[in-house]
Amino acid sequence: MFPSIMNRRSALCNMGGGLGAVALADALQAAPMLHGTGPHFAPKAKRIIHLFMNGGPFQCDLFDPKPDLNRFAGQKPTGADLRTERPTGTLMAVPFKFAKRGESGVEVSELLPYTAGCIDDICVLRSLYTDNPNHGPALFMMNNGTLTPNRPTLGAWLSYGLGNENENLPSFVVCCPGRPVRFAELWSNGFLPGEHQGTYVNHSNLDPNKMIPFLSNASANFKSEQQLKQLELMRKLNQDHLATRNQNPDLEARIQAMETAFRMQMEASEAFDVQREPQHIRQLYGTGHFANGCLLARRLAERGVRFTQVYYGNGQPWDTHAGHNEATRKLCLDIDQPIAALLTDLKQRGMLDDTLVIWGGEFGRTPTTEGSDGRDHNPWGFTMWLAGGGVQGGMAYGATDPFGFKAMQDKVHIHDLHATILHLMGFDHEKLTYRHAGRDYRLTDIAGNVVHDIIRSA
Amino acid sequence: MCRLWLQSVCALILVAWLARLAVSQEDSREGLLFFEQKIRPMLVTHCFECHSTTTETNGGLVLDSKEGIIQGGDHGAAVDLKNLEASLILTAIHYSDPEFEMPPKGKLSERDIALFEQWVKMGLPYPAVDVKRTEKPKIDIEAGKQHWAFRDFSDQPISLPTDSSHPSALAWAARRHDAFILAQQQANGMQPNAAADKRTLYRRAKFDLLGLPATFEEIEAFANNPQPDAFEQQIEAWLAMPQYGERWSRAWLELVRYCDVPEQWAEIHHTYRYRDWVLNAFNEDMPYDRFVRLQIAADQIEDARDEDLAALGFIGLSPTYWKELQLPVEIIKSIVSDEYEERIYSWSSTFLGVNVSCARCHDHKTEPFTQQDYYAIAGVFANSRLVDRVLDRRIDSLQVIDAKKQVGELETKLTKLNGEIVAAEKKEKEVTLNETEKSELEKKRTERDQITEQIAKLKSIPGYDLPMAPGTIDATLEVKPVEQGHGSRIVYVDQPKEAAIEIRGNPNKLGEVIPRRYLTVLSDQQPVRFSNGSGRLDLANAMLEQSGPLMARVIVNRIWKLHFGRGIVETPSDFGTQGERPSHPELLEDLARSFVENGWSLKWLHKEIMLSSAYQQSSRTSDTRDPGNQYFARFPLRRLEVEAWRDTMLAVTGRLDSRVGGEPFDLNQTENGRRTLYGIVVRRELADMLRLYDFPDPVTHSPQRLPTSTALQQLFVLNSPFMLSQARGLFEHVQRLETQDKDFSDSTHVVDSTQRRIRLVYRLLYGRFPNDKELELGRQFVGDGSPEAWQLYCQTLLGSNEFWFVD
Repeated sequence: MFPSIMNRRSALCNMGGGLGAVALADALQAAPMLHGTGPHFAPKAKRIIHLFMNGGPFQCDLFDPKPDLNRFAGQKPTGADLRTERPTGTLMAVPFKFAKRGESGVEVSELLPYTAGCIDDICVLRSLYTDNPNHGPALFMMNNGTLTPNRPTLGAWLSYGLGNENENLPSFVVCCPGRPVRFAELWSNGFLPGEHQGTYVNHSNLDPNKMIPFLSNASANFKSEQQLKQLELMRKLNQDHLATRNQNPDLEARIQAMETAFRMQMEASEAFDVQREPQHIRQLYGTGHFANGCLLARRLAERGVRFTQVYYGNGQPWDTHAGHNEATRKLCLDIDQPIAALLTDLKQRGMLDDTLVIWGGEFGRTPTTEGSDGRDHNPWGFTMWLAGGGVQGGMAYGATDPFGFKAMQDKVHIHDLHATILHLMGFDHEKLTYRHAGRDYRLTDIAGNVVHDIIRSA
Repeated sequence: MCRLWLQSVCALILVAWLARLAVSQEDSREGLLFFEQKIRPMLVTHCFECHSTTTETNGGLVLDSKEGIIQGGDHGAAVDLKNLEASLILTAIHYSDPEFEMPPKGKLSERDIALFEQWVKMGLPYPAVDVKRTEKPKIDIEAGKQHWAFRDFSDQPISLPTDSSHPSALAWAARRHDAFILAQQQANGMQPNAAADKRTLYRRAKFDLLGLPATFEEIEAFANNPQPDAFEQQIEAWLAMPQYGERWSRAWLELVRYCDVPEQWAEIHHTYRYRDWVLNAFNEDMPYDRFVRLQIAADQIEDARDEDLAALGFIGLSPTYWKELQLPVEIIKSIVSDEYEERIYSWSSTFLGVNVSCARCHDHKTEPFTQQDYYAIAGVFANSRLVDRVLDRRIDSLQVIDAKKQVGELETKLTKLNGEIVAAEKKEKEVTLNETEKSELEKKRTERDQITEQIAKLKSIPGYDLPMAPGTIDATLEVKPVEQGHGSRIVYVDQPKEAAIEIRGNPNKLGEVIPRRYLTVLSDQQPVRFSNGSGRLDLANAMLEQSGPLMARVIVNRIWKLHFGRGIVETPSDFGTQGERPSHPELLEDLARSFVENGWSLKWLHKEIMLSSAYQQSSRTSDTRDPGNQYFARFPLRRLEVEAWRDTMLAVTGRLDSRVGGEPFDLNQTENGRRTLYGIVVRRELADMLRLYDFPDPVTHSPQRLPTSTALQQLFVLNSPFMLSQARGLFEHVQRLETQDKDFSDSTHVVDSTQRRIRLVYRLLYGRFPNDKELELGRQFVGDGSPEAWQLYCQTLLGSNEFWFVD
């Protein structure tokens, strides 16, 4: 599946480096690992793929059917608590049909026929809620557990806790065909060391060299055998420099990093290149940016990237303040096949068991109308789902009120979600801490309860 | 103040009395049975996880005793004994207040709710338990005052360690503080490392003070200078150069989360004037106490210069968070409170080396800061509006801002109008205009003249053309509901206000109003109420008067840490009880005192540190006993920060632009020769180069940089347009020098032009000549000597460890 050591070695030889290069090539095999603090107990999941529907989908269109919403469409039933953050109109009907799917019989919308086929692997959380109805703060909450941009994000915490699985690739990668709102703050390392920040990849261009900064040489006349010669010279100079400085570990670390960079050019070019996938796999995922993002995420997960986040698109495409139904139809058409493909593909490769797939937005939308045919932000209740990675498939957890507005039963705050994710990754969320500014900080601040009911026991 | 206190005491007595009353009525047997059968299981399942003396006490409420329920939590008694049906606990389980729904995971069944109501109406029968509600441990302010960092300087002189009179010690210790270092080394079986050779020392010290490389000629001149005070003179010469401020201002700027481009909604501009003010303050060796006071209250300090108003950028550049005004007041208020929390964090961490922001929701758990302390300071920030200020104290900045805004709008209008007039005039030349068109044109001309006049008038107001900088004025932000419909508005009022405690940090649940004042633990006596305007001047004064020694210790430690790579206190922004203890307490104390005695002079401090024997040690040692270098028994091998690394490249390629201060530039311009200090810092999106090389996110205070070695950094070295451009630049520079300079001082050793060139490259990059092996490696690498080969060679040497690390 991966290029073997011999392959890499012969690749170097083929680059025309000669014997010196072979010696160097051997030296370049020693891949030092970035060690994390290590998990607290045996993890159920080893890596995460987070499919982020930025903008916020409406729960009742997709996974949280509410017949009452249609029954009372055009009204605001007395006694119903539908006080939204901003003024909205009456209840707006959901025109999409639901059916029980899979052996589990969990209901899924007609908008997601492919995904519905995987429902027995999916755990639908219908009772999420968050603290702020604006995109920025809600995006921060989902990523770093606060409403402000100053803290390390989930991916950074995982990188800090687990280190690298593959030294030649970053441990935390964020893919978006464009730029999500708030951009780099969504994958910040906060006060953790810089190596834990997410590596942002814009996969609207599928050339790996365009995705990773400086992965390819800026010179038009670049020849890789020349770079190999440079590496060889640099290594010799650095070794002599090191020898007279008592093998200082900082010097060694940089020598290693330089060689890792050299390897990364090959490994990342390969890992980030979805065009190397066989035709039948590409067909499985379908076409479009999101399909490519899902496929890229699988390739990275397969090669040891700990946390891959795939933002659906530039800006916040799921933010459907107007023309909600039409927009949702199109968006679903775009995500449905790739999601099913990702779950199926992971399963076929035996990876779904230890890969946690997360789906959802930063919040949900209102059951009431905004304008004539839009829906506004709704932090009070929304749906996300988890699949694989030790999570019980084919179940729905929690419930919103009869109109799908507020989480009512078995409510799950984002802190609870984070606690659960960390638990699946082998961490006690109260113990994964980092000392800063006079106290121990953690992702879940002073809150968070693991939702044990959704975790598979065996 | 006194009345408030009396009121709260009365309230406490009342609660206690009511509790006793309720408990003393003996619960009936049936009542207790009912409790055990129906209620206790419910409490166990739904409540105790968060509300019991043995688990958590969320909201300050415990439910595992009747006393606990009656005493209640943050929101008051959970049961209203006078009106049982109106009890908070019932409101919560009925889910009738959306802000206040319990249990949080879902409403109880109707049957359970009915049972619960019944129980409350029975008077809460609850078996008497011997659970003493553990009183929240009160913060011991007096004990806090004894913490080493918070103490005043003692009157007693600090005596040097006894063995410092030993001849070997006397011989080694060049400065007073060396004696402390030596004593600890000896106590731990260590000894000082040999002194660095003069060439190494010179190179190290120049990087350290100016962030720029020493040239070969300078190094040789210094090495051959026999004067005993040559190094001291050299330090003084460097400190007098503007490049000193360029280097050291950067260290300050990240403490105060400086950026050139703030949030897109922020109403501040000209941010670089704050940067330049800091830079100039370093260069003119402004006493640190004054440097601090000006940043808090330059507008209110009598002898401040007009240009010092730029110091207020410390407050003016505070991060702000987006406030969507269509949202209700409650949400906007919590965003505003988050902003104050950040300001208090940055203020207390930067100047005092403590984090007071932890006391927003409750008394600080580990440090002697009360929630009252937090809101006493929050009041000062709440009365300080972020705004651009004209750098002239007599000018009303708001008037100028308003005029500029109007001018902007009028000019847009004027441009449009001019376009229309030009079009009409063009038409007039071609055809005869009809009457309507003529009068239309005439009207437009009149309007144009009027607008032009308006603009001229607006521009003539005092201060219109004067420079501006981000700052603050005394005005209080208030969030109000819009008068009609949904949403909020923000208004500023001139009457300063006190802040009220936000219960659990929630601005929509207010408690006691706290007068603005200084932190209790840092005040000699009961802190005095701030009464001037926003309270900023009072705050600035109190900081110096009440916590001068703490501030001196904090800044002395920062400067020390920047020189040595290791602090005497290794947590530079945490001098609290949970921070690291100083490795050399007397040394820090002695240096901090002398710093104050020497007029809070940072230049004095640099010199004092650099003249020490500890600083002048070699970095090379085989002694591996102290990997963290806590005994300072060697000088650490240091990596250049991204600024110094890039600047050094510019210097050795002859591209360095020596202009000081001014507008920032885009770091993606690979050919730009300005120092990295001037590279644009975008608060929410750092340039690639900064992001890759450990530059801290300027979204909040950064205590220190955390250096990392990553592969992504090295991809930059191998492949980036910047590095390729520098390699080309170096090659061109070398060629230029070859034509200018016929003699490279040791031409006798030179056998050919390749060797000569390699020697020149080494001289430029590392300040030394290559050895034979290095020459040979170079010769092999460049082979035929094509320009391409030379550029690759230059790039390799620029990317080497010797170029990145300083001995």
